[in-house]
Amino acid sequence: MEKYQLNTNKIESFITHLKNKGKVFAPHKSGKNSFKFNEVENPDSVVLDYNRTLNSIKKYFLPPREVLLSFSKKEYSFEKSTIEVEKKIFLGVHNYDVKGVLRLDYNFSQGNPEDNYLKRRADSIFIGVSYEPDEYHFSQSVGIPLHDTEGFDIYLEKNDSGYTISAITENGQSIVDGFDGFSEEQAAPSNHVQFKNRLKYNYNRLPEVFEHSWNASVWEEVSKRCVGCGTCNLVCPTCYCFDVEDNMDLSLLQGTRERNWDGCMLNSFAAVAGGENFRETLAERQRHRVYRKFKYITDITGEPWCIGCGRCTAYCTAGISIVEIVNDLCDEYEAKYLNRPVEQSGLNAARL
Amino acid sequence: MSKPKVAFFDFTSCEGCQLNKLNLEDHLLDILEHIDIVEFREAMDDKADEYDISFIEGSISTPSCIARIHDIRRRSKILIALGACATQGGINAMKNLHPIEEVRETVYGDDKYLFPTLPAMPVSAIVKVDYEVNGCPMSTPEFLKVLKSLLAGQEPIKPDSAVCVECKLRENECLYDRGMVCLGPISKSGCGAICPSFGQFCTGCRGLVSNADKNAMIDILTSHGITLDEAKKRLLLFNSYDHSQSMPK
Repeated sequence: MEKYQLNTNKIESFITHLKNKGKVFAPHKSGKNSFKFNEVENPDSVVLDYNRTLNSIKKYFLPPREVLLSFSKKEYSFEKSTIEVEKKIFLGVHNYDVKGVLRLDYNFSQGNPEDNYLKRRADSIFIGVSYEPDEYHFSQSVGIPLHDTEGFDIYLEKNDSGYTISAITENGQSIVDGFDGFSEEQAAPSNHVQFKNRLKYNYNRLPEVFEHSWNASVWEEVSKRCVGCGTCNLVCPTCYCFDVEDNMDLSLLQGTRERNWDGCMLNSFAAVAGGENFRETLAERQRHRVYRKFKYITDITGEPWCIGCGRCTAYCTAGISIVEIVNDLCDEYEAKYLNRPVEQSGLNAARL
Repeated sequence: MSKPKVAFFDFTSCEGCQLNKLNLEDHLLDILEHIDIVEFREAMDDKADEYDISFIEGSISTPSCIARIHDIRRRSKILIALGACATQGGINAMKNLHPIEEVRETVYGDDKYLFPTLPAMPVSAIVKVDYEVNGCPMSTPEFLKVLKSLLAGQEPIKPDSAVCVECKLRENECLYDRGMVCLGPISKSGCGAICPSFGQFCTGCRGLVSNADKNAMIDILTSHGITLDEAKKRLLLFNSYDHSQSMPK
C-alpha cells in the first residue's frame, strides 16, 4: 500500500485532479451549522474537517424521491426509468458512512437484487478522511474503530501539515497516479483522538441484551418524550424503507410511479387497508426501530446495523439518544437477569 | 360522460385559498378540460342548483353560516374543506379562547347586537366533510392531487406524517440547529416543508398529526429556550379549535 503526503496548500489541486477522473462529491457547508454532500464545483468550497453531514451518501444510491416508472392508461403500457452507470468519486467520507453503504449493499443485493440501487452504486470510488469524534459519535462500540479503512479506496489521515494519503485498492492507486503535488517529506499524524461517547456493552455482547429486551420499560419511557416525527429514521445511513405512490398528471391518461423514503416511526408506515395499524404506539415503533439496528438483521449477519454516526441523536429535537436507549436496556437487562442491584449497575432509577 | 359540476364557496376567511386556486395559471386550462365550474363568487357571477363537488373555504362562525353550509351540503355530492379555517377553524378559532360576549364587544363595540357570532368552527363540526386540503393558504399541489384522485375515481391519500419528514427529504438544516424553534415535529406534512426550507419556522397551519403529543411538543419547545406561555401560544395559533373543545365552559 503506497503512502503519500498531501500538504494543505495542495488539497485544492488534488481535488481538481480528482475532478478529471469523474464526478466528485464531497462535504460542503450547509446552512448555519451543518454540512452536506454535494457535487464539487469549486475545490475551495469543499470541507474535509466536519463532524457529520445531514444525510449520508446513501442519498446518491437511494435518492429521497425517485421516479420508478412512467405509465400510460391510454396505451396500457409502462416504461421503467433508465439509470446510467457513471463513475462517482466520493471524497471526504467518514468510515462509518462507508460502512453504512456496505450494509445497504447487503440489503439491496439479497433476494431480488434491487436494480436501481445497484446501478447507482456501481463504479463508486470512496475516499475516506479521518475525523474527530464529537459527543454523538460512538462507532467504536459498534465495531468501527477510528481508522478502520474497510470500504475505502483511498484514505486521508490528518496530520500537522495536511493529510497522509494511503492508496488502499487498485482503483484507489489508479486515481492517485498522475498527481504530482505530493510532498517528499512525510508528516507525523496529529494527536490521537478518542471517542467521547460509547455503548455500555461492546456490540458483540448486545445480542444477549436484545434477546431479553422486548418487554423492557425503556420503550414506554422513551415514547413519553418522542413525538414520532421520523427524523431518526430519515437521517439514518442504514434505514432503507420506502413508500411507493402513483401520481397521475392532469391529462388523467398518464402518470408516474414514485418512491420516497419512509420511516417506521411514522403513523402510516404500518397502517394497512381497512385501517388497522400493526404498530399503533410510539413505544412499539421505537422498539422496532432499535431492533432493526441491533437484532433483526444482526441475527442473520452478525453485524450491528447501527454504524454509530450519532445522527439520530444529534438531530432529535426531543433529545432522545440511541446510546442512552441501548445503555438503559443493558442496565435493565443486568438488573432483571444478572441479579445485579439497580444502583450498582448504574441504572437511572428515575427513568425506570 | 359529462364533466362534473364544481363549485367554490367561502365562509369566514381571507379568501386567500380561492385566490390561490386562481394562481394555478399553468394548470387552469387543463383543469377546465375535466370540470365545469358552476359557481365561484371570486371569479364569476353564475349560480347553480346542484354540485358534484363543492369546495368550501373558511370557518363557520355565525348562525347564518350554519344555515348556508347545511344548504350547500344538501345540494353537493362531494364536499371538500379547503385550508386551515375550513379544516380546523384556523386562526379565527383563537377567539374561542375568550368569552364570546367579550369578543363581540371588542370587535363591534356598541353595534355588537347587529352581529350575532359563534365560536369559530371547522366545516366538519356542522356537516359531513368528505376530504380536506390543509394549509394556510391551502396547498395548491395537494388541491390538484385531491382533484385528480377524485376525477380518476381514486381515494385521495391523506398525509399523516410530520413536516420534519419533508425537511429531511430536502436535506434542510433543522431550524432548531439554527437556534430557532419550530412546530414541524408534530405538524402535518404535505406542504413540502416550504416554510422551513426558506428559513421560516413551522406554525402548524396544516393542523397536527393524528397522534400529536402536545405535552411532549411543549417540552421540546421549552427545552429550546422559550417560555411555557410562549410555547402554548405557538401551538394555539392555528389549532385553537381543538383546544377550545376540551376547555371547561
